[in-house]
Amino acid sequence: MGNVKLTIDSQEVEVEEGTLVIEAARELGIDIPHFCYHPKLGYDANCRMCHVEIEKNPKLQASCSISVTDGMVVHTDTERVTESHKSVLEFILANHPLDCPVCDQGGRCDLQDYSHRYTPTVSRFEDVKRTFEKQYFSPVIEKQMNRCVSCMRCVRYCDDVIDAQALAPTGRGSSTEIKHFGEHQLDCEFCGGCVQICPVGAFTNRVSMFDYRPWMLKRTDTTCGYCGDGCQLTFQTRDQQSASNTIIEVQSFFGTGRNNGDLCARGYFGFGFANHDERLTHPMIKRDGVHVQVTWEEALEYAAERLTNIKAEHGPDAIAGLASARLTNEDLYVFQKFMRLSIGTNQIDSSIRYGHINAAMAMQTVQGTNRWTIAYEDIVQAHTIMLLGTNITETNPIVGLKVKEAVKKGGAQLITIESTVPVIQTISNITNLATLHLQTNPLAFGTVVQGMVKVVLDNGLVHEDTQTRYPQYVERLKQATSSVSVRDCEQASWVMGDQIKAAAKALVEAPSAVFLVGQGVLRSPGAFETILNVLDLLLLTGKLEQQGSGLGVLTEENNEQGALEMGAVPEYLPGPSERTGDTAKQIIQDLWGAECPAGPGLRLPEMIDAAWDGRVKAMVVLGENPIESLPPSAQVKDALAKLDLLICHELFMTETAKAADIVFPACSYAEKDGTFTNSEGVVQKVRRALDPIGESQADWEILTHLSNFMNVPMAYESVKDVQDEVRRVRSPRQKTATVDREVLDQYIAGETSNPDLNRRYAVTKPQMNDARPLILTVGQSLFHSGRMSTFAKGLNAIQADGALIIHPEDGAKYGVEDGGSVKIVSDHGEAVIPVKFNERRPPGTVFFPEHFGARIGSLLSMTTDPITGVPYSHSARVSITPVTSEA
Amino acid sequence: MFSAEAKKKIPEILKRYPIKASAMLPLLNLAQEEEGWVSEEHMCEIAKLLDLTPPKVYEVATFYTMLNLKPIGKFHLQVCKSLMCALVGSDTLIQWVDQELGITPGETTEDGMFTLSAVECLASCGTGPMMQMNDDYFERLTLERFRTVIADLRSTGECELATGPFRWPDPEVTT
Amino acid sequence: MAAFKKVLLKNMDKRGYTGLLKEYEKAGGYQAIRTVLGKMKPDDLIDVVKRSGLRGRGGAGFPTGVKWGFIPKDHPGPKYLCCNADESEPGTFKDRQLMERDPHQMIEGIILASYAVGAKTSYIYIRGEFILGAKILNRALAEAYKAGYLGTNILGSGTDLDVYVHRGAGAYICGEETALLESLEGKRGKPRSKPPFPAIFGLYGKPTVINNVETLANIPHIVNRGPEWFMSIGSPPKSPGTRVFSLSGHISRPGNYEVPMGITMREMLEDYGGGMRDGKKLKAIIPGGASAAFLTPEHLDVKLDFEGIAEAGSMLGSGAITFMNEDTCMVWAAERLLEFFHHESCGKCTPCREGSMWLLQIMHRMEAGQGRHEDLDLLLRLCGNIAGQTVCAFGDAEVAPITSTLKHFRHEYEAHIQEGCCPFRGKPSELVGTGTSHQH
Ligand SMILES: Cc1cc2nc3c(=O)[nH]c(=O)nc-3n(C[C@H](O)[C@H](O)[C@H](O)COP(=O)(O)O)c2cc1C
Ligand code: SF4
Ligand code: FES
Repeated sequence: MGNVKLTIDSQEVEVEEGTLVIEAARELGIDIPHFCYHPKLGYDANCRMCHVEIEKNPKLQASCSISVTDGMVVHTDTERVTESHKSVLEFILANHPLDCPVCDQGGRCDLQDYSHRYTPTVSRFEDVKRTFEKQYFSPVIEKQMNRCVSCMRCVRYCDDVIDAQALAPTGRGSSTEIKHFGEHQLDCEFCGGCVQICPVGAFTNRVSMFDYRPWMLKRTDTTCGYCGDGCQLTFQTRDQQSASNTIIEVQSFFGTGRNNGDLCARGYFGFGFANHDERLTHPMIKRDGVHVQVTWEEALEYAAERLTNIKAEHGPDAIAGLASARLTNEDLYVFQKFMRLSIGTNQIDSSIRYGHINAAMAMQTVQGTNRWTIAYEDIVQAHTIMLLGTNITETNPIVGLKVKEAVKKGGAQLITIESTVPVIQTISNITNLATLHLQTNPLAFGTVVQGMVKVVLDNGLVHEDTQTRYPQYVERLKQATSSVSVRDCEQASWVMGDQIKAAAKALVEAPSAVFLVGQGVLRSPGAFETILNVLDLLLLTGKLEQQGSGLGVLTEENNEQGALEMGAVPEYLPGPSERTGDTAKQIIQDLWGAECPAGPGLRLPEMIDAAWDGRVKAMVVLGENPIESLPPSAQVKDALAKLDLLICHELFMTETAKAADIVFPACSYAEKDGTFTNSEGVVQKVRRALDPIGESQADWEILTHLSNFMNVPMAYESVKDVQDEVRRVRSPRQKTATVDREVLDQYIAGETSNPDLNRRYAVTKPQMNDARPLILTVGQSLFHSGRMSTFAKGLNAIQADGALIIHPEDGAKYGVEDGGSVKIVSDHGEAVIPVKFNERRPPGTVFFPEHFGARIGSLLSMTTDPITGVPYSHSARVSITPVTSEA
Repeated sequence: MFSAEAKKKIPEILKRYPIKASAMLPLLNLAQEEEGWVSEEHMCEIAKLLDLTPPKVYEVATFYTMLNLKPIGKFHLQVCKSLMCALVGSDTLIQWVDQELGITPGETTEDGMFTLSAVECLASCGTGPMMQMNDDYFERLTLERFRTVIADLRSTGECELATGPFRWPDPEVTT
Repeated sequence: MAAFKKVLLKNMDKRGYTGLLKEYEKAGGYQAIRTVLGKMKPDDLIDVVKRSGLRGRGGAGFPTGVKWGFIPKDHPGPKYLCCNADESEPGTFKDRQLMERDPHQMIEGIILASYAVGAKTSYIYIRGEFILGAKILNRALAEAYKAGYLGTNILGSGTDLDVYVHRGAGAYICGEETALLESLEGKRGKPRSKPPFPAIFGLYGKPTVINNVETLANIPHIVNRGPEWFMSIGSPPKSPGTRVFSLSGHISRPGNYEVPMGITMREMLEDYGGGMRDGKKLKAIIPGGASAAFLTPEHLDVKLDFEGIAEAGSMLGSGAITFMNEDTCMVWAAERLLEFFHHESCGKCTPCREGSMWLLQIMHRMEAGQGRHEDLDLLLRLCGNIAGQTVCAFGDAEVAPITSTLKHFRHEYEAHIQEGCCPFRGKPSELVGTGTSHQH
């Protein structure tokens, strides 16, 4: 497209062909008043506020819906235009309640601002104002229809961007009113988008209703701490000067962040954890089995002394550290440095052990980098997108939006390899947008990939570059898969062979393709091999090294990629993943002026074992809660009880904190500065929005003090000092990583260790168990993230507890009622839990949200990945029987 | 819920359009044909048929005034009150309804037989005052003709005064 | 006058004519498609219609052939024709008669129009209340399919066409062509902002022509008798052909009358409408449906064609003429129409949505004798702020009753204000509220 020149208010401007007049004016800094237009939504031209005069047009034109033409002459401030703007305002204000003093939008309301701009004289309206009956809308979204300007932005956003289709403009003409369905209260994704996009106060956030006036709020731009999508959001807090130090609400602005202003329920309504009553505010030491409040000095001194003694007595390897991947990069860097340098051990792990490490190691092996070789923009541009084992809307909603945009706007072809049924409900379902949906057994995502590789090999679909460059590898793969048939894959995965073939062909034919893999794969046995197989598939189809194509791995916690790159696992030292082995070690040793500890280091399950049998005597746990993250059968609680010393940094009194000898109150991310690295590898700023709650401190600060108390000096005065050091290990590089040809060649040559191809491509059929006919999987819900979100009032108002999700057919089959209770039994234990019917769950499978996992923990057992050490405990074979309430 | 008989018609309706959602009004009309109104269950069923969420059906259903989202009387009297009919006595017709049946626009008789609505132009402007009763038009109403209509509806459920294929003036009808 | 022969209503005037296929055929029906399908190039048919000078009968009067010519010729994929049978403009009841009495005439027109623009599927969007009409059309379509006039390879010509009846469900605005398309797509019937025009981006985003029932009914006759014949009747060159006028109001013989365009309003009233009823005097005329501005007895000599009515300050619109006698209160009449417009505004555009409500409230007060002098100015200013400021022409239509009554009958408004009541009714008018079947 070329450019065109036009004149707006006597100024000339050159813009791209197809630009709307309202946007061209914006380039010149001219804000044409408007309500219904929003760049995200395109135009509907209903408010008629944006009228301008365009020469040669007798009528005024809506600037939001007219594209520029060469030589066009536009006037935005003639008398006629101003009269039109004023008249639209007059029409709106005629029926508007003018309740600005009690409206939460007051001070940031487009209607207020435009009214102010056009200083209307006395209203000529003297009749009776229209009023809508007040309707209770939802626990988190407040609706005040009398303020509505009928711009339909909320509805269009909900339909077009989110795809939830939960808002219905009802009635007609002047009685048009936004509702959900009949008199039912809103049931949707609760992304908060309608609140954010409403130009007036028709939709407001009920969680913070009447708590503030917008101009009293201080804004802090930061990065969301829930999932790895890494949304930029703005905490709005009460003025620090005033008594309260509280997050009032969250906003996210169009045009900012990787999320471009979109959020999900967690981001928008999940801020309540920071100011929760139960936050830990003082250091505590356990005396006679009871936690007693102490001063920081006392706690630090005591901790340092105990650690020093244990180290002296049992050696540094008797001490292990475990950190949450929700911490900042700075916390994690100081954490691993504390362990490696101050303690002198490599016994260090983080919550990426629960799954992400599987992908990281596989990507490292094949690509030479464990970062994505694609970016969000590539998803939006992709010709074909494959989703594997990710109920993306619920786990990674914003990446989900990129996929929706690619499909709805870009016409991308979407192939979903998921366990959910494409049923339409007002929580969007990505499978509904799929061109091809492969509905799989929730434990057999990997089998579908094996099948696709087989199809590519058998049908001569290998990309010619790969064929010519790596003929032996192709041959070896053929051999490895020779005893496998698509039919086997079909039986194991429940997906029809024809569909597997169609998916493979679509990938082969796609000019560009993005493969996104989620928790369903990463947290299940065989994940490491499956990711390797996905990479094989990309390599075979020529998509691995192609620009704009490649693999993206979706992370559940916000800073999993950061934890990896900060070296918070025994396998990696801080620094980019492309740098390995001795080089990496040398750089760190030079920087620290000290030796890095030798030894492979223990990984989480091994740490638990070592604690159990006394090889590990002390543990430092930062924001992690292994007692609850792992099932009771793993006996973590008992193992930790055997330790001589357990130190815990925590926000809340978790089960693990309860077991700790020393508890340090830690700052939440709302109270500290630093950075998070999102799943695509973009490092983003975290900024302090609140003063630390109570006496809490940032984790890096606590460890710095502790190290100093242990006489291993750490000289960080501020987070900036940490960042300066991190910068020296993190080499500058381009945003998206690329495949390292040398590493790839080694992989192909079979030099890099990987399970032998025969094993990787052997298809195992899931065993059936007649006594336990249902497959239970445990995973993420849209409204929560880990356990932290269960401390957010807003999210609890949407979902306060977990229920077993079951298909109505299975409900009927087992005599269970929607909303009733069941006894659920596995080989390991049993529980009584509530039930909720949902047609999205395929018959034969049931699902429980992990955030309320304590209810079903007893059912689960743990297995450990022999290669990556990942503890798996997200599924079980179960049976259910109804429980009557009297019982 | 759609009756078995109605369900049989659905595939043929869906076949008429390249895009499912187009069957929206035909299906809403079909739903209304069953009991005279469209229930939430109907809307949910239609949503499923059309791959939409119930709110998207609801928003359409509320836009169109013929669709009743609440149960109404067995005989739905819809008197056109637009100007052209008003010039020839539609307000009087509305009074007759009140006089004979004791209901004003928006009301239903206690026995659930008649509901009265005042509606906008029904394209019978030359033959007013008139009303639509369920599927039928009754035109050029006088008090006497109106009483006949009501009496017939009460007794047999139908009335011969209903207009057939429309022509006005009609040389075959003398007034 | 006497020499004039009806065209569209001719068949149905015959005693016993029921509009069944065999009767239509006997009357010369379905000859036009034999002349055209597979024998004439679509472009040549478009040319014929262009040369005939036929203008749309739905309201806007756009030249039909020109409209067809806008459809991109080499467009890949489907194109559509929609027959606008929504007939909801107050005063209008001609399409109802054309459909119910001679459905094949219109269906033949649809076949020809579809052929001209290359549509393989056509929809007849009929207002929901026309349940009988829909039945009759469906029966006629079944007959036509059976006779091989519809379906695949029509009459062996290689032309395919499917026609379906699509019932609305009560919304005047769905007569507006883009609202009709939205409604047909299963959405709320809200007009689209134009451009793009339906000829480029219509039904399902495909090139689409929308034509009124009467417009289409003319096509077979133009084909059979030639464009020159059509151009020779009525009021050429701008308003050739006949029109079916719907007469209503205080006249002796209301009804549908087909006349050549260009006769005078007086002829219409006296020769066809039978003059004013009960010996009352004529006070006002609405010449083109509710959306047209009121005229007065002064305008009795204007010609009933597009230009004549436009020059008089109104529009021919849908060809519905309403006559009001001396006892009619003009404020009340405008108020009544405003109730209609308020009820039917789709609610998309701010000026129309809010303005119709505001205007209606003022008109209610005005008619009840509670108006103020300032209201008259206010009414005009509000009208000015609605007209021309909206997505569709409804905005222009809704203000016409007020601006035109204020222009011609301002003294009646003033009388209401001065007397504190309606001078015609002596007391505030009883409001038959807009309590409608809208029960949600
Ligand atoms: C508010 C509004 C209502 C309309 N209603 C009708 C109608 O009921 N029937 C009709 O044929 N045209 C109606 N029209 C005109 C159509 O938009 C369109 O111009 C017409 O169907 C085109 O057909 P024609 O060119 O054959 O006249 C309406 C227009 C507007 C703005
Ligand atoms: S002018 Fe009125 S009827 Fe037309 S689109 Fe706008 S609101 Fe709807
Ligand atoms: S912003 Fe253009 S009409 Fe609303």
